[in-house]
Amino acid sequence: MVDSISYLSIMTLILWLIPIIFINRYFKLSINKKIVYSIIRMLIQLTLVGLFLQGVFDLNHVFINIGYLVMMIAVASFSTIRTCQIDLKKYSLPILLSFILPNLILVIFFNAFVIGLDTLWDARFLIPIGGMLLGNSLSGNIIGINQFYKTIKENEKQYFYLLSLSGNRLEALRPYIKEALLASVSPTIASIETIGLVALPGMMTGQILGGSLPLTAIKYQIAIMITIFIARYIGTLLVIIFTASKSFNDYDVLDM
Amino acid sequence: MIVFKNIHLKFQDKVLFEQFNLEITEGSKVLLKAPSGKGKSSLIKMLLGFITPDKGEVYLDHKKLNKQTLPYFRKNIGYVSQDVDLRNEKMETLLEQISGFNSNKHLDFSKEKIASLFTFFELHKAHLTKTPKELSGGERQRMGLVICALLDRKVWLLDEVTSGLDEAAKEKVVNYIMEQNKTILISSHDKIWTENKEISIKEW
Repeated sequence: MVDSISYLSIMTLILWLIPIIFINRYFKLSINKKIVYSIIRMLIQLTLVGLFLQGVFDLNHVFINIGYLVMMIAVASFSTIRTCQIDLKKYSLPILLSFILPNLILVIFFNAFVIGLDTLWDARFLIPIGGMLLGNSLSGNIIGINQFYKTIKENEKQYFYLLSLSGNRLEALRPYIKEALLASVSPTIASIETIGLVALPGMMTGQILGGSLPLTAIKYQIAIMITIFIARYIGTLLVIIFTASKSFNDYDVLDM
Repeated sequence: MIVFKNIHLKFQDKVLFEQFNLEITEGSKVLLKAPSGKGKSSLIKMLLGFITPDKGEVYLDHKKLNKQTLPYFRKNIGYVSQDVDLRNEKMETLLEQISGFNSNKHLDFSKEKIASLFTFFELHKAHLTKTPKELSGGERQRMGLVICALLDRKVWLLDEVTSGLDEAAKEKVVNYIMEQNKTILISSHDKIWTENKEISIKEW
């Protein structure tokens, strides 16, 4: 296990901020308040999360662990709804489902078949891996939803003409689904491609700091990258299909 | 064959139609004549379900337009939109996609058929490798007509299909359309249509 660091030693980092604050003043760069606020906020936020997680890890109870995962899923869903500025009532269920289905199934698959855990809901794996998948699904779903509906809205005439040529909603939507999927997974593909060359990914860094061998760490990293890609791809597809079922009127016209 | 019955339509507080009625018999060619912004395009879009009237009903072959009959409407209506809004891909790819749609699979989209329509509408083979944006407005309109002809549906809705054409091309297109054994609804500002004796005019 890695040695703990003291709060005092963290404070030594704060000293570095003092010159930055003066430089900001010199340039009349008014972000000092924001810097102080955000650091204090992080301090409180992470301390609470740390205490909470410590409790969850100590108990390591199946229902609590799954409950924690469900809470993360709920937060991700509402965050998606808020960022995309769509109707909460109408879209809660489709968005919740498109987070739950791929992420829950994949995290269980990952724990069971990739890592080969005996206890699938072990907090030490379920929560951080679930969190990584969810974080990626979150940005993927947001990009997917925005791209899909924005493209249709901006190209309404094109969509109508396509509907008239085909007569079938799914056929007419296919090019827009394609574009949304591409926009959503492209960043993940790019990061898979360059991973390790520019910066060591977070999970790998954490494992190495925690005392794992680099060769062990990369295996986890490879596995998680593939899982992230799958979760993001399936999540985006589902979020489009599920939300689309509520976004068009009887005549296939966008109504959201 | 086509009936608009007691149509009411408001658009942003502006009344476009109030108690509007129109009946179109099979095989007739009808010109919709009204100043811009008076709802010619809206009427056309209503038949395809893109705009729903506030009140009133739309019929095609005695079928009232609703969720269940919508596929019948779309599959029997060939539509040429004002700008022939197609996605930014090569025309040949787009034509292939259109021919691949389930409701079009039985149709003849052969090279020969396309080539003969191209020749008639004075388009060139090179236009196939261009994207819609790379075509001129008039070329796009003729491309729209080619697609409409390939789809061979029994009702044609033509929204401003001659605006980008020169006089000779206009005449050719008008003659072509008047010859068709189809029911055709035309929205246009072009005088050339009103000069034609066989066309019925609905003015408002």
